[in-house]
Amino acid sequence: MKVEAILRINGVAVPVEIEPHWSLLRAVRDAVGLTGAKEGCDDSECGACMMLLDGEPVNSCSYLALQAQDREITTVEGLAAPGELSDLQSSFLEHGAVQCGFCTPGMLISATALLRRTQDPSEEEVRIALAGNLCRCTGYGAIVDAVLATAAGRAADSVP
Amino acid sequence: MTATAQRPRLIRQDGREKVTGAGRYTADVVAAGQLHARFRYSDHARARILRIDTSRARELAGVLAIVTHEDVPDVLYGQMVKDRRLFAREEVRFDSDVIAAVAATTPEIAQAAAELIQVDYEPLEAVCDPELALEPGTPLIHERWASYEADETMERDGNVLGRSTIVRGDATAAMAGADVVVSSRYEADGAHGVPIEPRAVLAQWQGDRVTIWSSTQTPFAARSGVALTLGIPESHVRIIVPLLGGGFGSKCDFHFEAHVAALARKAGRPVRLVFSRREEFVAPDHRRESIAIELQTGARRDGTLVARRARLVLDAGAYCGEGGFFAQLAAMHAIGPYVIENVDIDSRLVYTNNQPSGSIRAPTAPQTCWAVEQHMDELAAALELDPVELRRRTLIEEGSESPTRQVFGPVGIRHTLERAAQMIGYGQPLPENEAIGVACGWWPSFGMPSGAYVKLNGDGTATIVTGAQENGSGAVMGLPLIAAQVLGMRPEDFSILCQDTDAGPYDSGSSGSQTTFNNGRAVAEAAGEVAQRLRELAAEQLEIDPLDLELAGGEVRVKGSPDRSVAISELAAADAEILGKGSGAVPEQPACSPDSGCLGRLGMESFLEPQLITHAVHVRVDPETGVVRVLRVAAAHDSGTIINPIGANGQVHGGVVMGIGQALTEGMALDGHGHQRNPHLLDYKLQTAADAPRIEIAWIETPAVNGGPNGSKGVGEPPSVPTPGAIANAIARATGRRVHRLPMTPERVWEAGR
Ligand code: FES
Ligand code: FES
Repeated sequence: MKVEAILRINGVAVPVEIEPHWSLLRAVRDAVGLTGAKEGCDDSECGACMMLLDGEPVNSCSYLALQAQDREITTVEGLAAPGELSDLQSSFLEHGAVQCGFCTPGMLISATALLRRTQDPSEEEVRIALAGNLCRCTGYGAIVDAVLATAAGRAADSVP
Repeated sequence: MTATAQRPRLIRQDGREKVTGAGRYTADVVAAGQLHARFRYSDHARARILRIDTSRARELAGVLAIVTHEDVPDVLYGQMVKDRRLFAREEVRFDSDVIAAVAATTPEIAQAAAELIQVDYEPLEAVCDPELALEPGTPLIHERWASYEADETMERDGNVLGRSTIVRGDATAAMAGADVVVSSRYEADGAHGVPIEPRAVLAQWQGDRVTIWSSTQTPFAARSGVALTLGIPESHVRIIVPLLGGGFGSKCDFHFEAHVAALARKAGRPVRLVFSRREEFVAPDHRRESIAIELQTGARRDGTLVARRARLVLDAGAYCGEGGFFAQLAAMHAIGPYVIENVDIDSRLVYTNNQPSGSIRAPTAPQTCWAVEQHMDELAAALELDPVELRRRTLIEEGSESPTRQVFGPVGIRHTLERAAQMIGYGQPLPENEAIGVACGWWPSFGMPSGAYVKLNGDGTATIVTGAQENGSGAVMGLPLIAAQVLGMRPEDFSILCQDTDAGPYDSGSSGSQTTFNNGRAVAEAAGEVAQRLRELAAEQLEIDPLDLELAGGEVRVKGSPDRSVAISELAAADAEILGKGSGAVPEQPACSPDSGCLGRLGMESFLEPQLITHAVHVRVDPETGVVRVLRVAAAHDSGTIINPIGANGQVHGGVVMGIGQALTEGMALDGHGHQRNPHLLDYKLQTAADAPRIEIAWIETPAVNGGPNGSKGVGEPPSVPTPGAIANAIARATGRRVHRLPMTPERVWEAGR
């Protein structure tokens, strides 16, 4: 039996009707209609479904949608204003960190969370932060470079 | 690095939609009123079907259609041997043979209905060991194999689906006269492509025509498969590929498009199938074949390879699929890019009741190269030669003759060897338990027909309409670089329309690393036609001979006096139909004249514009646990001229890391009864960002003579070829012991060292 709920996604409150057993991923994709987050495994193994929940990255495939009520959900669609790109998104493009792009939404979410926690991560820290996001195309090097370059760019910008 | 660093860095056109989440992959596409599909798979690896009863499933509320073999024409399909039906009829031959498909209003109802279908079987003993399948008296996987429509040259025989031999000279006599002979046996487990996107198909009929959105690498093959198996004209089938979330071969060929189309026709509604990760592992007729490889090589003291004997047995699994050529390809890799005076290679592709094998990134190559390159190091040890020195003395060069008597043109394999050794610091002293290993490999280019149009738009931009398929690698996204060069425009001036069989001309898809090689030539030719037309139009305006004009900077201008010019946008605005088309002449396969003992010749007995590779890796082995850590990789590749450096580098990075996975963690664990025990990412472990090493790349750009645009070859598959072999050689150097089974898991490394 479907139940009514309100999900706050990317700053907008969205009323939805969902089955109580639905994952956050399914609710966001099927009930809200935001398909940026991907299902790669439905088992917390690939990270393609990652979203931020109150700023913390979670595998939305393994998180009940109803538990996400009253919390701030951010998907890849919410990382920049429509028509714009965040510095991290631009950096992914410039570094060739996107090939098929299926892992990209999750990678961007993971990296966004990392850069909020740590302004100046080492390569090792970036690699560990992204270890829950599988990518089959890039071998990770370009993704790591893109994240490090974003951090360096922010550091340069914040110098008065 | 090389001069490639100065070439334009292309920001891919599909990048923006991918980083914003706006891009649609097949599972993101929704048709109004769509139903959800689920399959009922065989419960056995081998069994006779006695009865299929769908009555209880049909009664379930929400079920709109159930399809079995009774609902589709009785047609056999398969690329080189037609041996499979869409829905199993009398017999199941692997544990994910499809028996029925259900369409229902929710995925849960479809699943419940699939489980309610009653199937009675007579279970039969499954044949899961390919070497056993060759023994006389073993049951035939396909009792009626001889009646199948098949390629004549396959040398089929019972459970032998394909056989290829390469014979030159007298290997036995040469072996007897050799100074040193080494023999080895290696076994490689099966593996998977594992695109992060599980496949999806959505089918919608309009009258007697069907549109199918599918995550396929080969839309035209999917179209023919649907037409053949449903008995409808190809022109009634339109395949559209939304963004494709990786393939690595696993999404080549025709797969489940017809099952879903048959459901949608019967239900009278659009139907969508989305695979779970488990299904993505076990159900496609695509996974990397296991191979048992026996090698014997005789050499003279100076390293000259006088003879090689090899016996290879490849697991074809239950059906041919598109992998019918594997025996010959593996035979060529059992020789490798070396000069060997006498050879006797026998390679057999064998039916079993395992999941069917199909092309996964450089099929047969990484496993065979892993065995051959370890064998070469064993030979080097027996000759008391350094492994790099042995390769230096035996690799092919321009003018070398292959065992099938192909005479090679310019090939940069020796340069790749020296460069990789130099980049990794070969010979440097290393701490205990660390070592460097080296491996060389090769991979052919495939010349295939392919077409494209280039259409000039009124605003001075252009659109490339192509049948080529972008799998994520960026090969299609790189096509504007080729057209821009011909037309003197900027790559950003081109949009791309692709992945729709009703729009672009035929192309064989993102397989065989062929997109730039073949479609690149087509695009160059199409752009050339546009350039020709522009020169004619400008010549009229400028009152000059078209031959005195050149295209550059978005203009057509007079050679030598660039201020006499017309803007391309001006010409485009004045003429509504500036359209070029191209197919590019398919390069001819290099001549060769194999000795008469060569059987199973399928056209790969010579290698067109081979791509040549050396990888050198530095590893650390923990002797207590057998855990291997790859610290650095140096990859030197000769793939001809590099057109799109950012894309080419991306292929090497991804391919090497895939190769590391295959070397260390990625293997199908089979239970011996036809079931895979690790069809999930927890136990089938891909490399993560934390595992992957830094990779240094060098491009040795020997321009291809008979190749793609600007002397290019393919780049996508070779990167995963020599990595496992280089890692194996490093492990052996670090531990003093060889690991004879792939993947070289901690357990196997530890056991080898005991
Ligand atoms: S889909 Fe959630 S982790 Fe893979
Ligand atoms: S870009 Fe394809 S999986 Fe990461």
